[in-house]
Amino acid sequence: MSLIQTENLTKIYGCGETAVTALDHVNMQVNAGEFVAVMGPSGCGKSTLLHLLGGLDRSTEGKVSIDGTSLAEMKDNDLTKLRRKRIGFVFQFYNLIPVLTAIENAALPVTLDGVRPAEARQRAAEWLERFGLGDRLNNRPDQLSGGQQQRVAIARALVAEPALVLADEPTGNLDTKASDEIAALLRQVSKEYGRAVIMVTHNPRIAAYADRIVFLKDGKIVDETLLERKNGDNAKMLADKIKRIGD
Amino acid sequence: MSVRHAILGLLAQRPRHGYELRAAFEAVVGGDTNWDVKPAQIYTTLERLDRAGLVACISDMGEGEEPSRRIYAITPQGAAALREWFSTGVAPQHQRDEFFVKLMTALVSGETDLSRIIQTQRVTLYRELHAATRQRDSYNPRRAMAQILLLDKASMHLEADLRWLDITEQRLEEVKNQPLPEPEIRPRGRPRKGSHESKYPPPERVRSNQ
Repeated sequence: MSLIQTENLTKIYGCGETAVTALDHVNMQVNAGEFVAVMGPSGCGKSTLLHLLGGLDRSTEGKVSIDGTSLAEMKDNDLTKLRRKRIGFVFQFYNLIPVLTAIENAALPVTLDGVRPAEARQRAAEWLERFGLGDRLNNRPDQLSGGQQQRVAIARALVAEPALVLADEPTGNLDTKASDEIAALLRQVSKEYGRAVIMVTHNPRIAAYADRIVFLKDGKIVDETLLERKNGDNAKMLADKIKRIGD
Repeated sequence: MSVRHAILGLLAQRPRHGYELRAAFEAVVGGDTNWDVKPAQIYTTLERLDRAGLVACISDMGEGEEPSRRIYAITPQGAAALREWFSTGVAPQHQRDEFFVKLMTALVSGETDLSRIIQTQRVTLYRELHAATRQRDSYNPRRAMAQILLLDKASMHLEADLRWLDITEQRLEEVKNQPLPEPEIRPRGRPRKGSHESKYPPPERVRSNQ
């Protein structure tokens, strides 16, 4: 079973004549350890898709399931709990808290979740060290480069040990070298630590780090491309694609 | 041609024989997967350079026999040719593009959906970009920076090609609505002496190659 799956996921903003279909019957599934990039022109529904996958917004039609549970059927409280425990978010502008140090920022989600501060710091330090920030634990965001701040943000996303990481233009504010480092790090998060990573980007270079690219246009998936040929899922992928083209 | 100049440069480093030159060339370009040069090409290039006086065979001749290995060295003329090469820029080739020909052929033949052709090409370029990215990541930046730079170049070109595909896709409707490219009809045979102009008026469209 896939970790996250959508069925005819549709989002319509507004109603009547001014209604805009941001997402139009999207079906996709992502497994643990998979790194998926979502691409498409601006306004194609990339961010809407990410918000729905993360339970930050509710769909008009269709559903999102994580571990087989439909988000639409969950109460707000349970949804918040699921977001905190199962999903990590990474944003374009890092969204770190300026007055907190790297370790405090990274520890924040689990501190808020009631984990003892010492243990929370311990877990945050482990992720920061894995991401090469062992000597930056006590620096505040303004003492770190953009790439380092984003690494803190990825450590923060992972500190609650989520199964899924959602990244919205994670390299949008970084130069080429730092962008490559962040993309390679997200790949490592999926490959080495077995998390599913879904990343929205408009940068082809960054999308090429993923295992798979989902192309969105006018709210629909126009193509789904496996970048690396692997045994097993490739045949299934191809069969699915041929079926879709035949429809 | 650059194999010729690379040979001159490698001989400027030190005299070598053909086999050694081939190995040295492959090392410089980052392996035979990047640029596979056949032994025959090395030897014929060396012979041509020898005839042109740019390199000379310096191995001792045995008693009337051919030496087992011919060792070559660069001559002063060869060194001058190398300096000349270093002092000029390299013009890249962009106009002869196989994908562009495919797209235009699809347009004139009306055989295929152009958007599909663009998406197929996009997928191909993404796979190439992914492979280049993975390969670049596999190199140690402390030891293999030259190979990393070459892969960076490949990645950047692929990125540019992908952007160009996006632009092409956006402008597909415009292209479809414009008249198909037609050949310019020229009079057959040689132009008559004294007449520099074609007797046919040029078409009104602005031609890119004029």
